[in-house]
Amino acid sequence: MNTKLNINFAGIKLKNPVLTASGTFGYGYELADLIPLEKLGAIITKTITLEPRLGNPQPRIAEVESGMLNAIGLQNIGVKNFIEKPLENLKKTGVPIIVSIAGKCGKDYAEIVKILNGFKEIAAVELNLSCPNLKKKIICHDVSLTKDIIKRVKKISKVPIIVKLSPLITDISELALSAQNCGADAVTLANTYPAMAIDIETFKPKLSTIKGGLSGPCVKSMSIRCVYDAYQKIKIPILGCGGIMTWQDAVEFMLAGASAVSVGTASLISPKNLIKIIDGLENFLSVKKIKSIKEISGAMKR
Amino acid sequence: MRRDTVCKIISNKQAGKFFFEMKAEWISAAKICAPGQFFMINIPGVFLRRPMGVHKIEKKTISFLYKVAGKGTGILSQMKKGKIEILGPLGNGYDLNIGSKTPVLIAGGTGIASLYCLAAAIKKKKGILFYGARSRKDLICLDKFRKLGWRVFISTEDGSKGYKGFVTEMFEKDLALRFREKENFSSYYIYVCGPSPMMNAAIKIARHYSLSGCVSLEEKMACGVGNCQGCSVLIDGQNKMVCKDGPVFYINQNL
Ligand SMILES: Cc1cc2nc3c(=O)[nH]c(=O)nc-3n(C[C@H](O)[C@H](O)[C@H](O)COP(=O)(O)OP(=O)(O)OC[C@H]3O[C@@H](n4cnc5c(N)ncnc54)[C@H](O)[C@@H]3O)c2cc1C
Ligand SMILES: Cc1cc2nc3c(=O)[nH]c(=O)nc-3n(C[C@H](O)[C@H](O)[C@H](O)COP(=O)(O)O)c2cc1C
Repeated sequence: MNTKLNINFAGIKLKNPVLTASGTFGYGYELADLIPLEKLGAIITKTITLEPRLGNPQPRIAEVESGMLNAIGLQNIGVKNFIEKPLENLKKTGVPIIVSIAGKCGKDYAEIVKILNGFKEIAAVELNLSCPNLKKKIICHDVSLTKDIIKRVKKISKVPIIVKLSPLITDISELALSAQNCGADAVTLANTYPAMAIDIETFKPKLSTIKGGLSGPCVKSMSIRCVYDAYQKIKIPILGCGGIMTWQDAVEFMLAGASAVSVGTASLISPKNLIKIIDGLENFLSVKKIKSIKEISGAMKR
Repeated sequence: MRRDTVCKIISNKQAGKFFFEMKAEWISAAKICAPGQFFMINIPGVFLRRPMGVHKIEKKTISFLYKVAGKGTGILSQMKKGKIEILGPLGNGYDLNIGSKTPVLIAGGTGIASLYCLAAAIKKKKGILFYGARSRKDLICLDKFRKLGWRVFISTEDGSKGYKGFVTEMFEKDLALRFREKENFSSYYIYVCGPSPMMNAAIKIARHYSLSGCVSLEEKMACGVGNCQGCSVLIDGQNKMVCKDGPVFYINQNL
């Protein structure tokens, strides 16, 4: 077994630093017939809420130059249904499971974590504080609410807490620092970028919600900037995310300071892209004669 | 089993003023795929894959019949040879177990592509096709249906061929006539595929006359395998994914 790609991310042991991004890989087990799931570093599930959510009306998807807009609206089956079937199926994959969760307030988040605490197979919880597709404003724009949620969750959680932030913020490094100060074990940088598109034939917005979240290669350079800025200020590890299509993109995120990466839109286009990124990283280390992937985190030269 | 693979383009020919038909070699998909199922096709030059219903299934090949609707299908129509990346077969497909019922197809625009595949699969049964398009130039597959021995009723929005108006109006008039003449149409089993307003109209008519059948829905989708939930629609108050739970749904479901 090749150990060059092994990392320890916020206390979670991972085979490699390539994770699925929340909301782009279902509940995690469904594609076992298309790719070898056991090769993945970890699986981050679709964001789960206390009660099931129907999500937004159609249309929810629009293609834009080098990327896509989505307005799914956190459609999910709710935590009780999640622990019944999807979690059982996920356990069988043997891949570290990270459950993404969301709610309106600290109490919601804490209640979900209480339920998840009962399952020792869950390796970590990611707090989605950055969904742009809810009618209310993005949680992490409210700093005191953000702090309250992280503190409450940290008090009770048995597993590491990863905080996923929105890139639409004046200074992401400040927010990442306050997440760290509240006890977060890691941060995910970043979620989608609030954005919109209009059909010039019909004059209608391309999404039912008018605005949605932008992802894909068109956001990559901006998210790398987020990682770089935060890396200057915080000590906890960063999960880089945004527009990673190839192993080269993953390397770039890591050089900027990410310890691991999560891949979303690329896996929608072809789930095989996840495997290609992992294999590409391994090959990159051999070619460059680098002993461990850890060495490239934050290794950008100036 | 569905797969994500690279196939050889056998041919890609113009099949009408706005349509092309692409044939790709893929033996294992040809063996298992069924009418109403679809594939996600990677088209270099556009970001997301494009969903396409299967139009023809032969021993070693599958074919797609598609309209040049925008950038992606425009590029696709120029891919004359070489390789193409395809994921599939995906989705559930049409219900072919209709016993002694008469298949009645209601096709609008590109809906004809997958409905022909269905007609070819149940070729022993001769059915009826109601087919509407914008104008006579948009009509395709007519000879194929005649070869199968089907009865074909045509409508065009501009009246350049057949009934002038929407295909659903034509279908409703036919039903109304049969109803007045006390003819029995309870043996009809309808299959509907076309643009959403047309499908909604067809569903209404079917319910009014208590016809059973199914519709194949279209929504924008990013992955085609249920991961992004982009194509979810509410059916009986529940979220169903067009790509995974569909694209075919029964009409008695609350669409
Ligand atoms: C299950 C399914 C089966 C289909 N089968 C066929 C077929 O057999 N023949 C055929 O001609 N067309 C079919 N379509 C429609 C076809 O996918 C679109 O016409 C095509 O994606 C247009 O791409 P474009 O780049 O040319 O157009 P653009 O308008 O530039 O596309 C922009 C975006 O919108 C999406 N899109 C545009 N129109 C549609 C549509 N009607 N439905 C879903 N997404 C759309 C595209 O995939 C793309 O993401 C099917 C659609 C679905 C969902
Ligand atoms: C269709 C879709 C659904 C998403 N759903 C979620 C979600 O439920 N929770 C979440 O934290 N992020 C969600 N995201 C954001 C992704 O996890 C990721 O942060 C973002 O898309 C940027 O990465 P990418 O460019 O690799 O996709 C979603 C993204 C897409 C495209």
